[in-house]
Amino acid sequence: MDEKKLIEEAKSGNRKALAEIVKKYEQTIYNFSFKICRDPERAENIMQETFYSMVKSLNQFDGNSKLSTWLYRIVANHCLMQARKQKGKHYISLENDEDLYTEKHIADWDSLPYKNTENNELRMILDEAIQKLSPDYRIVFLLRDVEGLSTEETAEVADISIPAVKSRLHRARAFLRKEIDEAFKK
Amino acid sequence: MSKEIKVTCLEVMSHICDSLGEDLDSERCLDIKSHLEQCPDCTNYFKSVQMTIDYYKKYNVNLPPDAHNRLISFLDLDKDE
Repeated sequence: MDEKKLIEEAKSGNRKALAEIVKKYEQTIYNFSFKICRDPERAENIMQETFYSMVKSLNQFDGNSKLSTWLYRIVANHCLMQARKQKGKHYISLENDEDLYTEKHIADWDSLPYKNTENNELRMILDEAIQKLSPDYRIVFLLRDVEGLSTEETAEVADISIPAVKSRLHRARAFLRKEIDEAFKK
Repeated sequence: MSKEIKVTCLEVMSHICDSLGEDLDSERCLDIKSHLEQCPDCTNYFKSVQMTIDYYKKYNVNLPPDAHNRLISFLDLDKDE
């Protein structure tokens, strides 16, 4: 059954169709949730909440965007809501661009020992770097660069303007690159 | 028509995002590309940004065992109508 038909069936109360949609997207949504929160338990929780919201409000899905884009939006909202609840948590400000480019000599990463992201040490570096990034920036970087959404889709999911996507993306990339570079030098 | 536009390293770094996925044929991007060919620091910077993105792209996790069943049960989709 194609996706459009599947959605129609699910909207009309077909539970098997609903379960099929869940099965089709669970891996993508879990992986994306993990990439935002970097914690398996929280990722599973966000995945469950996302599909719960989907089941509750599928009738509001108008089909103008892809279902995956709609699901990404639900994940992003859940994550931003969770982040707002963590009141004590502070993130590094990325307001001053020039702080991101202070190096006089830029190292050639070709000589790095890390070629494989299965390496635990590299995974730790990546986890630590992205967790310092505020969720507003993290979501834009992950949607645009990692999940491969277009700038327009990213703007729609994150509910911000296209210039805001570009500016957040540029700062997030520069920040992560700098954090990783500093960790490599240790 | 050729126009000489000087690009500094800081500008290259500031506009690097556009050269990674946006409007590659814009005049700005062509200037950036030509600067990159002559500047080892910017070449290394560009490469390291691309590697950063690539690292995060390749760092994927699989759904834990039984998470599917927990999800279906959470959504109450495991029972017949």
